[in-house]
Amino acid sequence: MTRVGTVALNTFREAVRDRVLYNLVFFALVMMASAILVGQISIGIEQIVIVSLGLSAISIIGLLISVFIGVGLVSKEIDKRTLYALLAKPLRRWEFILGKFAGLALTLTVNTAAMAAGLFLALFYVKHSIERADTAVLVAVYFILLKLALVVALAMLFSCFTTPLLAILFTAGLYLAGLFVHEMRGLQGGLIDPALGRLLRWVSYVLPNFENFDVMGAAAHGRIIPATLVAQNTFYAVLYCAIVLTVAAAVFSQRNLK
Amino acid sequence: MSAKGYIALLLFVLLGFAGVWRLQERIDVQQSAVASEDDQVMLRSSKLVKGLSLEYAPLVADIYWTRVVQYFGNKHAGQQLDLRLLWPLLDVTSVLDPHLMPVYHFGSMFLSDAAPRGAGRPDLAAELLERGLKANPDEWRLYYDLGFVYYFDMKDYPKASAAFYEGSKNPKALFWMKMMAAKIATEGDSTETSNFLWQDIYNTTTDASVKENALTHLQLLRTQEDCKHIDVAADEYQKQFGRRPVRMNELVLGGLLLGEPVDPLGYPYVLSEAGKAEISAESPLKKKAAKTPGSK
Repeated sequence: MTRVGTVALNTFREAVRDRVLYNLVFFALVMMASAILVGQISIGIEQIVIVSLGLSAISIIGLLISVFIGVGLVSKEIDKRTLYALLAKPLRRWEFILGKFAGLALTLTVNTAAMAAGLFLALFYVKHSIERADTAVLVAVYFILLKLALVVALAMLFSCFTTPLLAILFTAGLYLAGLFVHEMRGLQGGLIDPALGRLLRWVSYVLPNFENFDVMGAAAHGRIIPATLVAQNTFYAVLYCAIVLTVAAAVFSQRNLK
Repeated sequence: MSAKGYIALLLFVLLGFAGVWRLQERIDVQQSAVASEDDQVMLRSSKLVKGLSLEYAPLVADIYWTRVVQYFGNKHAGQQLDLRLLWPLLDVTSVLDPHLMPVYHFGSMFLSDAAPRGAGRPDLAAELLERGLKANPDEWRLYYDLGFVYYFDMKDYPKASAAFYEGSKNPKALFWMKMMAAKIATEGDSTETSNFLWQDIYNTTTDASVKENALTHLQLLRTQEDCKHIDVAADEYQKQFGRRPVRMNELVLGGLLLGEPVDPLGYPYVLSEAGKAEISAESPLKKKAAKTPGSK
């Protein structure tokens, strides 16, 4: 586990060196501008706009980092030939994959936490208070983090057996498909062939369901998000990541690096 | 990796996905509680959506139309009567692509049908169709749909007649539209006209749900006619025997009916406490009649 931790820590350091966290400046500017402007261009929905905008920005920035850096985690090491030096050390390939994943997850956690702090500052600026109902925003941020972890795992899986460009396309495609699984199940009601309906239902359960993590509407309206859902979504993300990373590790172990 | 390794990996993945499946079912229950109040159209301004859609407005319109169908279908399946987002969705869709005909044809049906079948907003249905006609003046079908909305849902017979007449000017229009315009202008509401219009829809539509709806209306129209005839017989019975009949077979025994009449689904009609004919509570048409207020 120490070896996994070392890889994770170095991945985090590398991300910081690569100025990944500079996106926080952009986020801060967006939140400051919106906090100042929103009061002048809307009536009664300032809080909703700030929360929706903030969560959307956290999600979009996080997704960009997850996909582009996630795909590069493995391929960059191969391209730069630094992987050979690493694997020459007593480091198993699955430890490398797990360490890289943990490193980017750590980067995303720090990044998301900083953005969440910015969001709460903007919220405080608009409302002049932070209430108990605002914990829903915190839960929404946590769900975004779970979603990003899943995206990183998928990006790493694809980058283990294909080119970076294709890996980006596959990850983005799967993410988009994962946003419509509910619609897939809804298509069964007599609209399509029953056999196709059953197949879509099956596919809808196997695809990563990114809709699970979408509570932005509830958070913006200050609605309570059940603790059961938080636990279930956590377990879902952990289980799905475990499956994807296991497959990724298996694929990477079989890859010929010569 | 050894064969055992592959088997272990496969087992892990299969068991993992089985776990994901079970977990997803539980999450769906929790999510529905959170999301049930989340029905909303974030962008209601059709102009803004069109601007944001750039040159892809027709594609976005298709996506919006799919959302309309899903929204209406889900509400219908869930027996939910609150369809207030139907109009904003249709509004945006029709502005994004003014030539998307299903939006006007089906959208006006969804809007105009009385609850629980539809949103019960025939005024908005007429507005949608008028908008469609403005963008597609050669589409005689839209005049037909407009006449239908005015005739059945708004009971505005002069406007219904005018819509059928305008549509009949198109050389491709159904030959009977001009006659229908004249008939409605003269008689207003009549069972014969209603029967004709529903029969035409039943014969021409390719959509299963629209066909079923037309069939229900035709069956209910027949029950209305049957009940009228039975009531006439019951009135005659009262004249002859000095009291209202209590059971249907009294009318048969009195020689006023040839046999016990049945509805289109084969269920015998019954007499109410007031001695008026009505659909049997056992007949599925009874429920359908309740769901089709003012069915004609």
